[in-house]
Amino acid sequence: MTPEAQQMIDQVVKLVRKPGLQIDENTPLVSSGLIDSMALVDLLLKLEDITHLRIPAGKVQPKDMNTVALMFATAQRVGKPRK
Amino acid sequence: MPVTIKYRTLVDALLSAPADWPFVTDWIDEDEQKTATFGEFRGMARVQALLLKDNGVSVGDRVVLIMPQGIPLMSTFAGAMLLGAVPAILAYPNFKVEPSKYRFGLAGVTANLRAKAVVIDNEFPDDLLGHVTLGEARLLRAANVGAFGGERDLPDPANEPGSLAFIQHSAGTTGLQKGVALTHAAVLRHLEHLSAVLNLDEARDIVYSWLPLYHDMGLIACFILPMVCHLHVVMQSPLDWVMHPDTMLQIFTDYKCTLAWLPNFSFQFVPRRTPRERWSNYDMSSARALINCSEPVRASSMNEFYNAFAPCGLKQSALHASYAMAENVFAVTQSRIHGKPGPEVIWADGQRFRAEHIIELVPEGTPGAVCFTSSGQLLPSNRVQIVSDSGEVLQNGCVGEIAIQSDSLFQGYYNRADLTEKAIRDGWYYSGDLGFYLDDELYVVGRKKDLLIIGGENIYPQDIEEIVCSHPAIHDGRAIALGVFNPDLGTEDIVVVAEVEKEELLQQADEIEREIRSNVVANMGVAVRTIFLKPPKWIVKSTAGKAARSTTRQKLLAEHPELAVEPYREKTTRDT
Repeated sequence: MTPEAQQMIDQVVKLVRKPGLQIDENTPLVSSGLIDSMALVDLLLKLEDITHLRIPAGKVQPKDMNTVALMFATAQRVGKPRK
Repeated sequence: MPVTIKYRTLVDALLSAPADWPFVTDWIDEDEQKTATFGEFRGMARVQALLLKDNGVSVGDRVVLIMPQGIPLMSTFAGAMLLGAVPAILAYPNFKVEPSKYRFGLAGVTANLRAKAVVIDNEFPDDLLGHVTLGEARLLRAANVGAFGGERDLPDPANEPGSLAFIQHSAGTTGLQKGVALTHAAVLRHLEHLSAVLNLDEARDIVYSWLPLYHDMGLIACFILPMVCHLHVVMQSPLDWVMHPDTMLQIFTDYKCTLAWLPNFSFQFVPRRTPRERWSNYDMSSARALINCSEPVRASSMNEFYNAFAPCGLKQSALHASYAMAENVFAVTQSRIHGKPGPEVIWADGQRFRAEHIIELVPEGTPGAVCFTSSGQLLPSNRVQIVSDSGEVLQNGCVGEIAIQSDSLFQGYYNRADLTEKAIRDGWYYSGDLGFYLDDELYVVGRKKDLLIIGGENIYPQDIEEIVCSHPAIHDGRAIALGVFNPDLGTEDIVVVAEVEKEELLQQADEIEREIRSNVVANMGVAVRTIFLKPPKWIVKSTAGKAARSTTRQKLLAEHPELAVEPYREKTTRDT
């Protein structure tokens, strides 16, 4: 696992609704009810931070954030260089 | 020019708008926005109207729309009205909803409306489509509006002021879904009052919205009001906003918006989720009314927003509150646009409030005092009375159920005489909300009916409980869903307490919890904050043998004091 993925997982662990849960890169987060849509912004901000990309609103859906692996794939797909 | 409303129908209002004025801007992201003028919008609405007409839809037919937020949805809604048909918008399924569960929700609503057509968009997921049972309704894909219909002729709308204009749904997912049918005349009377108290001006006002259009606040305040008053509305989808809440500030800055309606939690959510280094990029000086509506109004949430963005030019006089519901078209109250800035905030003796349900004013900061924020003053031709459990009309300053009368009140729930009979008694609509009236201001303090309001969205606990009880490890009928105030979010969290069939099952609590959590999401698209699994006979029963919600709540809060937050114990004052 990359250090970036580990940083993201650490952020997810802070946000999930079940403390102490084991999370890996492929754990479903949104579809399992572990995080809700109001927590997605925290993940997006962290993702922008880690990848140094701007992830535009309107180009990302909750399903694109369902696992840590998907989050990085989404950032690669829609991320733009910081202005 | 100040807005004046003198149309016979909503269609007349749309047809009277100047063709070259901007109406809707669909804000996708920083680099992509689409604007339709009133003329272009009418063209699109005509295309949709012709599609509906070609498929046998005519005057009075109900048409269900299940499309993502945006101009195509709005123009299809208007297209149905152009034909004299009666549109109703349902929530677009999000990806968390399982196809087999979705079918159940949709079938109930379309059957109750006896809809002639269900209109979906081209991207509607095929796996959901396979499960849609429509009865007699015909399934249509919305027309491609890329090529405008121009000023093509349409059949005579044949709308009368007393005809049904549309149906909006107040809450609920399945059997509990309630359709509120409204006439053109009722909606126009309402908008006349609302535009007067808001002092709307078509040359000045621009509405910002992320609100879903299947909810009254989004539909009436951010679509029908701008359509009738010829205002520009800049909107984005709720999901885009919730994932990037600072885009609201960007849109205010770029478009110089003046008005927005927001549920209470947004007043905390935006400042807390906008990185501080970006704050100075925004200009909020154009805002003249940010109206806190659809959740209990909290002064601390509004103060937080004001303190964060006052350096961006936000005026304190822009903070407002309103009490609204689909059954009254929309608003019952609105805080004064002129005069003292912001809604009234009062402090009352906490002990007397809790024990006697009486408001005794005390100075701010008095130990044990509770704080209430007014939802404003009654709109013209609106009346409220506060009623006790025994049906007695209470004096000012006493807490009871809020009952409403107005000239825009609904006549009943569509095809649901059973629900109508419970809700409207002696010409008064019993809202199920608890509040008090004091010095010409209405304060809403809680709910009598079992309803959770999560991020401004109404959710029936029964819907959640039914899903929880469908788990084989849970004793049937022994689950309770509660809304517990979360001060960090400024809204309620869903908390579930459920009894397992046998005490031994508690050893598998983690697995059961995980399954319940994903079942709730798959059915309802909402996430539960905490699930408490309890041994048999833990939940308090009523004499009828049903799980008793309020006593179970007290027991849960006593056992888990970390959940017990006093929602009215405000820390901040208006000026800090």
